[in-house]
Amino acid sequence: MGIISIEHTDRLFWLGRYSERVYTTLRIFSDQYDSMLDLKEEEYKDFCRKQDIPDIYRSAEDFAQRYCFDEKDANSIFSNLNRAYDNAVVMREEIGSVTLSYIQMAVYAMNKAKQSDAPVYELQHVVDNIVAFWGIVDDSIDDEHVRSMIKLGKRVERIDLYARMHMARKELLREAEKLNRRIGRTGLSYNRKSLAHINYLLEEEKVDYKELVDEVENLMQ
Amino acid sequence: MKQLRFHYYMEIRFDIPVHDHHFTLRCLPKEDDSQINEELNYEVRPYCDLCRGTDAFGNEMLYGSCREPHKLFLADVYGIVQTGCGERISETASEYIYRYQTLQTAPGVQIRGFYKELEQDFLRETDAPEQKDVTGMAVFFMHRLNKRFQYRSGITLIDTTAEEAFEKGMGVCQDYAHIFLSLLRLARIPCRYVSGMMTGEGFSHAWVEIRTPEGWIGLDPTNDRIVGDDYIRIAKGRDYKDCLINRGIFKGCVGTAFQEQMIRVEVKEIGEKTDGND
Amino acid sequence: MDNRELFKNSDSVNELLARYGVKFGIYKDHVFHEQLFPFDMIPRIIPADEFAYLEKGLKQRVMALNLFIKDIYHEKKIIRDGVVPEEFVFSGSGYLACCDQIMPQKEIYSHISGIDLVQAKDGTWYVLEDNLRIPSGASYPMIARDLCRKCEPQIFRDIHPEDNRNYAKYLRETMDYVNTGGHTVILTPGRYNAAYFEHSYLAEQTGAHLANGHELIVENDHLYFIDYSGKKERVGAVYRRISDDFLDPMTFRENSLIGIPHIFDIYRKGNVAILNAPGNGVADDKGIYYFVPQMIRYYLGEEAILNNAPTYLPYYKNDMKYVLEHFDDLVLKDVAEAGGYGVVFGYKLSKQEKEDFLRMLKEEPRRFIAQEVIDFLDINIMEKGELVPRKADLRAFVLMGKEPVVWKSGLTRFSRNPDSFIVNSSQGGGFKDTWVLSQ
Repeated sequence: MGIISIEHTDRLFWLGRYSERVYTTLRIFSDQYDSMLDLKEEEYKDFCRKQDIPDIYRSAEDFAQRYCFDEKDANSIFSNLNRAYDNAVVMREEIGSVTLSYIQMAVYAMNKAKQSDAPVYELQHVVDNIVAFWGIVDDSIDDEHVRSMIKLGKRVERIDLYARMHMARKELLREAEKLNRRIGRTGLSYNRKSLAHINYLLEEEKVDYKELVDEVENLMQ
Repeated sequence: MKQLRFHYYMEIRFDIPVHDHHFTLRCLPKEDDSQINEELNYEVRPYCDLCRGTDAFGNEMLYGSCREPHKLFLADVYGIVQTGCGERISETASEYIYRYQTLQTAPGVQIRGFYKELEQDFLRETDAPEQKDVTGMAVFFMHRLNKRFQYRSGITLIDTTAEEAFEKGMGVCQDYAHIFLSLLRLARIPCRYVSGMMTGEGFSHAWVEIRTPEGWIGLDPTNDRIVGDDYIRIAKGRDYKDCLINRGIFKGCVGTAFQEQMIRVEVKEIGEKTDGND
Repeated sequence: MDNRELFKNSDSVNELLARYGVKFGIYKDHVFHEQLFPFDMIPRIIPADEFAYLEKGLKQRVMALNLFIKDIYHEKKIIRDGVVPEEFVFSGSGYLACCDQIMPQKEIYSHISGIDLVQAKDGTWYVLEDNLRIPSGASYPMIARDLCRKCEPQIFRDIHPEDNRNYAKYLRETMDYVNTGGHTVILTPGRYNAAYFEHSYLAEQTGAHLANGHELIVENDHLYFIDYSGKKERVGAVYRRISDDFLDPMTFRENSLIGIPHIFDIYRKGNVAILNAPGNGVADDKGIYYFVPQMIRYYLGEEAILNNAPTYLPYYKNDMKYVLEHFDDLVLKDVAEAGGYGVVFGYKLSKQEKEDFLRMLKEEPRRFIAQEVIDFLDINIMEKGELVPRKADLRAFVLMGKEPVVWKSGLTRFSRNPDSFIVNSSQGGGFKDTWVLSQ
């Protein structure tokens, strides 16, 4: 193939980002769901604050249902999965029907989880399909640029999410290293100053999370 | 035979910069049996990849795309045309398509009524058999249309149909031509819309050509006369839309940019020749 | 073959069709939905000799249609010779004056043709409609076959239908044959088109680029695809899946946002191939359909191998008389409509409706054709574990390269409603694979 338009490049990048967003928020959500079962009702408020999500929920239960499954709520995990799907479905000829099928199956699994009274169990299938999707991206996409764009999206999104969640510096450093390695391989223009600043911010013992989030968002501008 | 020096100048000013401006201009005189370009110069600004082609109606096109932002677009065409060089028989263009009404020429109740009236009057008033041919009939229609319809600008728009204009009872050369085409097509006479220039006018002009056994003949219903060698043909087609001098699309910042179009046309006779005296 | 034991894994196939997103888009109340295309596992089976007959007839028909289009946009001999009345051509919606005198690459106008056939109870095949503009549907039996082979390996060990997964290869050859030098692109209006699955699947299977109009530009009389780095790559063939109207805002609809400005100008110069050729709809108009047997005689000097459904043109006085006398036995079709719309069965109309319709018919006889209602051979589908008979048609695909090739398969569409003749997917129909036996 060899030639890819700007629009496709963009779609691949966002496919990477949204698949990562679904994956990581689902993992965090599952932990959260567990702890909400017997103790802190209010824990979800902290979660919303860190994720920059407006707290529109009536209770922890309402949060559990809507944050996860409400397709009308643009911040819900389902909405993010739909956006991953929107970007994937127009990339069939670049990524292949087989690769696309894992995102499609994640959507089906999400629908099934929505109907279930044990959502965390069903959501595991969503996670499984996303993990399989990343595996097949590595395995079956021959075009390095296509592969790289998806993975770059994934790296950028992860650092963004981890920074928002105030993850430990050690975790962030690990992710930053992967990002540094990946970004050079895409042949894409990016903001070199931002990357340098991200690396600089992570050298400090006490990470300025807010600035880190801003700088990550600047990276691909 | 005449030698005409012409100058066609068009500029469009936009109040905000536009970009990805694609244009197709039909503003070059087309050479045929009776019209020859002795000298032809053209210029389009801003500078871009300018291509030349011919459309299905045989019209010369200049087209291209100005992708960079600009607020002024202009086309400047000038040269010398020799007109009235001979009969126009050899043009083989399909006359079939010129027999059918288009969206702009389709007759309604008013034009149909007028046509009935004309048809009857024509049969009654014209005795001489030699005038009962296609040309005779067309000329008869032209006289009557010219009497019935009044010239006034600002009443109709570029997409006004023949029927709408006829109902209003007044309009410009484009409307005269559309109504005339509508009537001629009701009479099954193959006919086409022609845009061009004529001496003495400061604007572009439009008239009609009919297909006769002797070739294409031009009739100008606005001036109620047969087209002679003081006219320069630019484009022809089924109606106005096929002959758009400038067809363009572009992108602007917000909504549609406001545009102002200015056209200057000048045609001057610089020499007259008589047949066989060259 | 209608043995339900044989197709016990129907659920698995449908699961796989869902997995691979074999869908079509549909608008309900102006909202876009993706729907799975209902698939029935029991294939339509056509014996080798019967298909050989169809193949011969289809090639003949498509060759004649191609010659007709070429004639119409050039010499117009068939009109001068009085075989086809001119108003059926020049006032039909498929005729495009701007295509006059354009000669496409290799003189091919209909590269991919979808010919709709039905079989009557007595076994006779009839052509119902020619689709030459942008016929869709080949991708469905193609992927269904692939998945069925996974789910029912035993059947394919015993029976060997002609493999239909070669459609992509034929399509690629068809595109390459007319390519003027450069990349091959499938031009899609985008994801919200009913056939988007097909566009993307065919791009994947043929290795062509799938592009939207704004990813391609015309510059200095050539078509280019713009790479993400800004590099321009020449494009030599465009398999467009958007209609003529939207192809180029500089020639057709000015407000088209999905087309490519100036592509028509360079197509005229022969600098890019467009599949299928603009203006080829002049030959698939329902009014023109009536004349196809005459066309075959006129251009090829042969009798038509495939039958048209018995058709009447109210435009002709004798036919009008027949239509008025046998109105209740006929089906009337509006020549301007497609997709199963504008179809009226005489016997179904109330008295008032009939009066209204007849008035319209007399006012605009050119607008309608009338056909005898063919007694369809029903084919079985599986519904809730039971075999039930349903109306079905067959869309056969003919690809025109150096030689016409008939794809040894086809899209069999069936009506899910037992009382309906309408098989279109947009109206809730389903599909089957079509097996052509290899011997």
